[in-house]
Amino acid sequence: MIEAHRLSKRFGPVEALRDVSFKTRRGTITAMLGENGAGKTTTLKIVLGFLRPDSGIVIVAPGRVGYVPDRPAYFTGLDGRTILGLSDGQANGNGKDSGARILAVARDLLFDPALLRRRPGSYSAGNAKKFAYLQNLVAWPDLLVVDEPFSALDPPSIKCVRDVFCGLRDAGKTVLLSSHMLAEMERIADGFIVLRRGSTIAHAGLREWRLLRSVRTAPDLESVFLRLTGS
Amino acid sequence: MFDTALFPITWRVTRRRLLASPLAIAAGLAFPAFVVWIGFNDSYETAAKFFFFLLPHVFLIAAQDTVRTDIESGALENVLFLGGRFRGFLRAKSYVLAAAVGIYACGLFGLFTAWGLAAGAFRPYFVIRFALGLLAGSYYIALAGTLSYFLRAGSNVLALLLAQSAALIALLFSATSRTGFLDYAASGRFPGLGPKLLFGGLVAILPNVVVSGRLLVFAAEVLTGLALSLFVQNRLARALELGK
Repeated sequence: MIEAHRLSKRFGPVEALRDVSFKTRRGTITAMLGENGAGKTTTLKIVLGFLRPDSGIVIVAPGRVGYVPDRPAYFTGLDGRTILGLSDGQANGNGKDSGARILAVARDLLFDPALLRRRPGSYSAGNAKKFAYLQNLVAWPDLLVVDEPFSALDPPSIKCVRDVFCGLRDAGKTVLLSSHMLAEMERIADGFIVLRRGSTIAHAGLREWRLLRSVRTAPDLESVFLRLTGS
Repeated sequence: MFDTALFPITWRVTRRRLLASPLAIAAGLAFPAFVVWIGFNDSYETAAKFFFFLLPHVFLIAAQDTVRTDIESGALENVLFLGGRFRGFLRAKSYVLAAAVGIYACGLFGLFTAWGLAAGAFRPYFVIRFALGLLAGSYYIALAGTLSYFLRAGSNVLALLLAQSAALIALLFSATSRTGFLDYAASGRFPGLGPKLLFGGLVAILPNVVVSGRLLVFAAEVLTGLALSLFVQNRLARALELGK
């Protein structure tokens, strides 16, 4: 679904990425892990077309792509309903007959549909995050990329979002997550990419990770991560 | 050239911003009120001079809120703008804004024409003046749009207004040494290269002066400036990245 080959990116004197390569498969959840400043968000932004790599290429299989940023921001003048109408119109050609679908997705995310009358800028951080999921899920993307999927969410919402990811995977969709919440990632991810200081230091499926855990006698993903990154 | 799927969101964002801007609303209401006031207190002819001369500034006031605000707000890092579509959105904004203000200007010109026809004072060359006013207004939007890649909302328009004020003050203070300059400008005939270049410089920051219709060479300069500004904007949008 995504194939990144030797991505490099500099911001002035800072080398953000150096020869980052990875692959994700269709119908899987892949977690991108790394310390602060490891290059996770830069990698995601290159995959999504917000940044251009200095070298290397990214190939994304054809299909709808969704993106939930860490801290979603919206145009100040538009209310939630208008933004959803525009998203749905762009994905499905028109904004009609989307009401039932929006309500169903809102229910799945524990998002109060009454909030749609307000501007997303006035939402709490958690509701703004849930609205970003709603905006993406009404279009039912083939690939969903999420930066810090559980940030600002309360425990019931975290469970709902986790179920959404699993639902997408079961429907043959691909999910790429970037997160620091290792326990959550261990519960849902099928594969892991670990970045450190702009380079890929590990890239493996769940089976390989389990093997790595047993070989290193590490009890969980957190221990493996800490050993790999030398933290 | 354009991603037509972006026009609905570009239109909605532009319309909401115009309607939410007290300055744009005030300018949109004060401009026709001022022209009508001049018309009733003097004549339709005088009102026409003010109408055509001030019309481009309605475009300028509307061009406050464009690129830098959107980039810094983070609103472009949205699923609506994946795959580099944010560049298309930013490119389309100038055109949609020019169209929105152009529709408003056409409405005003329709009313102004009806008034002139009823009073028997309308002149056919007003149509050419109106077209030149639209050209000058579009130039303002393109120029302010280009500046807004570097300056925040409002600062782009303020920079142009300050440049215009400085140019007019300089012209006023040097009036004695430039005897005849305003006469040349009024007649559209310049005796030498110096006055022509000086007037060309004035046109670059105050394109309103071409609406008389007697300065078609300088109208061509405004058209060139418009094309150049759009070209520069296109290059800036192409080079733009989000989230550095």
